[in-house]
Amino acid sequence: MDFHLTDEQEMLRESARRFLEKECSLEQRLHAPVEGGFDAARWSRFADMGWLAASLPEDCGGLGGDIVEAALLMEEFGRTLVVDPFWGIGVLAAQTLLAADAEKARELLPLLCAGELRPALAHHELQSRGVIEHVTTQARPAGDGAWTLHGEKTLVMGGNVADRFIVSARTAGDSRDRDGITLFLIDANAPGLQRRDVRLIDNRWTAEITLDRVQVTAADLLGEVGQGWTALEYGHARGLIALCAEAVGVMERAMWITRDYLRTRKQFGVTLNTFQALQHRMAEMLIELELSRSMVYRAMAYLARPLAARQAALSVTKARVGQSGRFVCAHGIQLHGGIGVTEEYSIGHYFKRMTVFENELGSAQFHLEQLALCECAEPVAARP
Amino acid sequence: MDFKLDPADDAFRQEVRAFLQEHLPPDLARRGACGFHPIRADQRRWQRTLFDRGWGAPNWPVEYGGTGWSHLRQFIFDEECALAGAPATDNGGLRMFGPVIYAYAGDELKARLLPGILKGELYWGQGFSEPNAGSDLAALATRAVREGDEYVVNGHKIWTTGAHTCDIIGLLVKTNPEAKQRGISFLCVDPATPGITVRPIIDIGEAHSLNEVFFDNVRVPVSNLLGEENKGWTYAKAVLENERATSAEVPLNKRKLAQLRHIAGHERSDGRRVIDLPGFAPRLAQLEVDLRALEWLTLRALTEKSEGVSLPYGSLLKVRGSELVQRIGELTIEALEQYGSYLYAEPGENPDARPDWPSGPDYAPGVAADFMYRRAATIYGGANEVQRTIIARSFLGL
Repeated sequence: MDFHLTDEQEMLRESARRFLEKECSLEQRLHAPVEGGFDAARWSRFADMGWLAASLPEDCGGLGGDIVEAALLMEEFGRTLVVDPFWGIGVLAAQTLLAADAEKARELLPLLCAGELRPALAHHELQSRGVIEHVTTQARPAGDGAWTLHGEKTLVMGGNVADRFIVSARTAGDSRDRDGITLFLIDANAPGLQRRDVRLIDNRWTAEITLDRVQVTAADLLGEVGQGWTALEYGHARGLIALCAEAVGVMERAMWITRDYLRTRKQFGVTLNTFQALQHRMAEMLIELELSRSMVYRAMAYLARPLAARQAALSVTKARVGQSGRFVCAHGIQLHGGIGVTEEYSIGHYFKRMTVFENELGSAQFHLEQLALCECAEPVAARP
Repeated sequence: MDFKLDPADDAFRQEVRAFLQEHLPPDLARRGACGFHPIRADQRRWQRTLFDRGWGAPNWPVEYGGTGWSHLRQFIFDEECALAGAPATDNGGLRMFGPVIYAYAGDELKARLLPGILKGELYWGQGFSEPNAGSDLAALATRAVREGDEYVVNGHKIWTTGAHTCDIIGLLVKTNPEAKQRGISFLCVDPATPGITVRPIIDIGEAHSLNEVFFDNVRVPVSNLLGEENKGWTYAKAVLENERATSAEVPLNKRKLAQLRHIAGHERSDGRRVIDLPGFAPRLAQLEVDLRALEWLTLRALTEKSEGVSLPYGSLLKVRGSELVQRIGELTIEALEQYGSYLYAEPGENPDARPDWPSGPDYAPGVAADFMYRRAATIYGGANEVQRTIIARSFLGL
């Protein structure tokens, strides 16, 4: 067991930090137009630096890394509150595609790594609330292996700039069955597909998608009919870890911003850092941050475990990181006082990102309840 | 980064588990699994068993009779022992004083003291805190004045765990009253020395583990000085540094959480298991979440390379570990309902001696007593408020 980065990982992190602080700082962005949260030139740079390829296998055009590389990058993105759709396209969609269809992955992921293809995962629906298997979008057979899709998708991260959508649809079963979910790859301009772009409160962009009798053929299938859940779970697991790693970056930066503020802001003739009540609050923030970081490591360690153990570990992590993130960022605002609630100042933006985090891939409460269900389902515990 | 447990460490865990299955006597395990303070006789018996296996001192180097295990293996060992219900070994001798002795004491003292610790024949009392030196330990006032080849000790120690059953007291004394930290020395004192009076302190669990110890012109041979005079503070700090990674008491917390699961799966409300009552299982799950976070922060602390700026792991872990043991206790007491409000006879006590001792399920005795005692968890070892100040000042630069 070794929690230290390799030299290559250390280099990746350092280069990401340097680039993001120079090119993507919050201060620059606050005064720049936030149109779409996307800059095509910058996306090319992400590709050139190997970020889009970092955690994909070599036969798919990747650099052969794994979830650690994605987590490293996401932590840096969190520190800077990057709005570019790296997570939605480069992690969630890419990893789902990787697991969904080996042949199409080898064909399409090299294009994604090069920044030439931007697929987004159109899976989440209005009533998903963290449940991966919640799919009500319908795919009905239209003869000759063709299908007609009908339904609505929400929170399609990066969907506003996507050129393809990986759409989950039900070919059998009920809304919360694992079996019967099928994945399709659809062109963003497909007839019958309507897109509404939405800016989230943290200035990232998402899309709501309506599928109204969208025609697809057998060639648009990803993987086997009815077998999409496994790929979705694979993508979500990696997406969840990357998201939690980002949250660790968010928390860490919010903590140091607050620390710096306490050392400079004066009231009652002294700097705020001299007040023990505030010192102790900050100590709590550090504890929460480091517990969360440990949980991201644990989730990565459990990624290769069998499904039940993996899901429990992911729930433990998402719950803890969500709770810690809210604590750290909320108190970050509190310790700043009034300036903390202004749009002009940075700390509130960290709180906004953590608020969106809680609504992605299941809230802390959702994951606690998943764990609670497991507790009740276990046979009566033996006496220790 | 590599998050996998080394297969050799996994095999080690199996080896420890098999050993416990074979060699931990059921009566010790039964008493160890409940919350009462361990009985000294049980501790001595178990320590001797470990010694015979060559595992008497998991945290010591091989040359002094230790195992030479990595921090990770020590952690695995502690965890397996806790889950099996093995009685706690002597924290004072093995973790606090032993390492100071082999690091700083002369050969004579090493030869005199270390074997007894290994064999379970020399149990240590910890004479640190004083009525006016708790969190501010360096303010201690117990004086030791040198007269020839003896120190004459006068003063008053408090919270001395096991002073009434220990074989030796590790005493922090002032040898130079002008200096604060730099005037402190470490003495090893035989509790049978004339002039020592031990007075019991009964804790709110109605148990006796704590004591006050009074020193009235107690004569201690200079040969019992540990290391050099006036360097006791350095030694004490070294000990606390070694302790940093275990301060969350993850093995203990794991055992207590397992006990809570067991109780919540057996206690019933109108036929329904307590674990199935609305709202109970999410609270249990929250404790599991927090335990896992502590466990992995501990693993980070154990595998940290000692380069660069290190996190104040000991303080981080102490704060949350002690809070967790209290929170697990709260939910356990709640799960037990009426049995959670009963105080039971301790192992070895005669149940006929007090007619008010209640009956109940076999998992009930010790829970309430331990719950009461653990209010001290956030106080002992440096109160959590002191830890937060350490974190804020040392690491955050506030």
